[in-house]
Amino acid sequence: MTTIERAVEPARTSIRSARAIERRRLLLWLLPPMAWFTVFMLIPYAMLLYTSLGHVDDMRFIPGLSLDNFVRVFTVDPYLGVIIKSARIGLMTAVLSSVVAYPLAFYLAFHVRTQRLKFLIYLLVIVPWWASYLVKAYAWKTILGSGGILNVGLQELGFVHEPVRLFLYNEFSVVMTLTYIFTPFAVLSIYAQLERVPTSLIEAARNLGADGWMIFRRIILPISVPGIVAGAIITFSLAFGDFVAPVLVGGPDSVMISNVVINLLGVAFDWPLAAAIGLVIITLGLLLISASGWLEEKTQTRF
Amino acid sequence: MTTGIELRNLRKLFDGHGHASWAVDGVDMTIGAGKFVTLLGPSGCGKTTTLRMIAGLEIPTSGQIFRDGQDITDQPVTDRDMRMVFQDFALFPNMTIEDNVAFGLRVKSKRGAYSEAQIKRRVAEFLDLVHLKDHAYKKPHQLSGGQKQRVSLARALVTDPKVVLFDEPLGSLDANLRKIMQLELIRLHRELGKTFIYVTHDQDEAMAMSDAIAVMSQGKVMQFGTPREIYDRPANRYVASFIGHAHIVNATLDSKEADTVTVCLGNGDRVGLRGNVDAAPGSAVGLMLRAEDLAFADAGADTIGGKVIDSLYRGEYVEYVVALNGNSGVVHVHARTDLPPVAHGLAVALKVNPVKAHVVVQ
Repeated sequence: MTTIERAVEPARTSIRSARAIERRRLLLWLLPPMAWFTVFMLIPYAMLLYTSLGHVDDMRFIPGLSLDNFVRVFTVDPYLGVIIKSARIGLMTAVLSSVVAYPLAFYLAFHVRTQRLKFLIYLLVIVPWWASYLVKAYAWKTILGSGGILNVGLQELGFVHEPVRLFLYNEFSVVMTLTYIFTPFAVLSIYAQLERVPTSLIEAARNLGADGWMIFRRIILPISVPGIVAGAIITFSLAFGDFVAPVLVGGPDSVMISNVVINLLGVAFDWPLAAAIGLVIITLGLLLISASGWLEEKTQTRF
Repeated sequence: MTTGIELRNLRKLFDGHGHASWAVDGVDMTIGAGKFVTLLGPSGCGKTTTLRMIAGLEIPTSGQIFRDGQDITDQPVTDRDMRMVFQDFALFPNMTIEDNVAFGLRVKSKRGAYSEAQIKRRVAEFLDLVHLKDHAYKKPHQLSGGQKQRVSLARALVTDPKVVLFDEPLGSLDANLRKIMQLELIRLHRELGKTFIYVTHDQDEAMAMSDAIAVMSQGKVMQFGTPREIYDRPANRYVASFIGHAHIVNATLDSKEADTVTVCLGNGDRVGLRGNVDAAPGSAVGLMLRAEDLAFADAGADTIGGKVIDSLYRGEYVEYVVALNGNSGVVHVHARTDLPPVAHGLAVALKVNPVKAHVVVQ
């Protein structure tokens, strides 16, 4: 009897220890992402919240538990106004980027036959990202300025007699620059969606007598909506938080919310208010991403 | 003027990675109106390319396509009024089943052919025809493979085309479903009286459904005839070995008379059979022997000798593998399961069904 029990015992411990090893291994795997999340997300957000609840007195941060800064974001000029204007610029950039990106993504997905040409065009879309952001923003200054290529061209062709000053230092030039810089994101996201459309769908539609426009409107466009939404969200977010374009090509009134935050941090030294604006924007961003995620899910075509 | 589809010396060059090759290499064929014609062959034989040229989805490199005597070689795909059923179904994933089926009608209604109420009624009628009435408001991804295929079928038939093209439509379905869909297609063909042009690599499917079969290989039509002609009187070795797993034994034409032929096997055995052959006595020919046309018999005249080397129990019958004497070849023989089993290594004599055995020259 005893010998049998002894024989069984070691086997049971080995099963138990296998489970323990499994649990320990799982913990080991979870450790790096947990650590990353804590160090780079949790602690910074906590610090942001902590800062936003205090106030500054005589250039010194006084911790507190007051919501005053949040009230100031919504009631004191110009903060809410600037947030709304930034959102408007972001929205215009998103719409314009989608409009510019769609034909290119469409061409890339359906009309480029050889892999080599596809790769080349793909590269041309991405290559501007190898150049510095500042250089690209600056380039638009030379294109749109009084002595810029656009004005010189218009004068040479005789459309205008003196340089048009409407092109530069206003919201238009900011949107133009941001659109140029962020359009690749829209191209890639729309292209990724269009690439899922099998050729046989288009052949089937043609076989049923549909012309190009009908195929586009009834089949390709509906399928590509999630790609457009995803691209628009990326370009909107990037444009919304931009602070270089307004400084370089924007006018005196085209200050965006990131510029305000920078000023509050560096010049006014009002870190608590800057933190409050940051948190408001993050909250808005979360709402937007949830909404767009829902919209993407809702419009996603299942094959 | 002929009615139906006529292909004249149709060719298509494919340019793949530097070296061009003829995917379709001189196809001549007349497909009578209202017929069920199958293009049969292994993958890469050019059957799908031929079908796609008929549909207008591929442009022929040379040759002509006629429809009811009219040259349609350059007619755009959108004007051809031939509907295709695709292998991957090609249902529009963003639309409901009803909208999928209505698509072709809505295209036509842009030219004022139908009102929306007429479209609804007609779509319902055709969904009923393929037993999918209750699925009208579902999306394609909610249906099974067989259901998707029937939607695809309804979408093709609803616009009342004269010609329906099928590109391996049952290829992605499981065996049982294929059998059901085959019967369904035969029924639809009989009821609707349209020309069906069907592409498949499955010979059973082709035999069961078609009025005529074109056996294709390397871009050419090897034989075009009724299933019976293709099976019983294959035109050449390729067709004989592709259809029904026939074994071809090398032989010499011994003599021929009005309607009988005698061939001599390598081992000296002589076999007499019915029929005729287009070759002079003494020339090398192939003797096509199918398992179901051979039977064990007592040695004597008109039998061929061999040795059993293997046997397979198939349930319906026992399949014996017999090596013919003198290394002339290997044949399979079907025997009834209630007969005593034949031991391996035993010398046997085989009687050939003189009506079914066939001589091929090429």
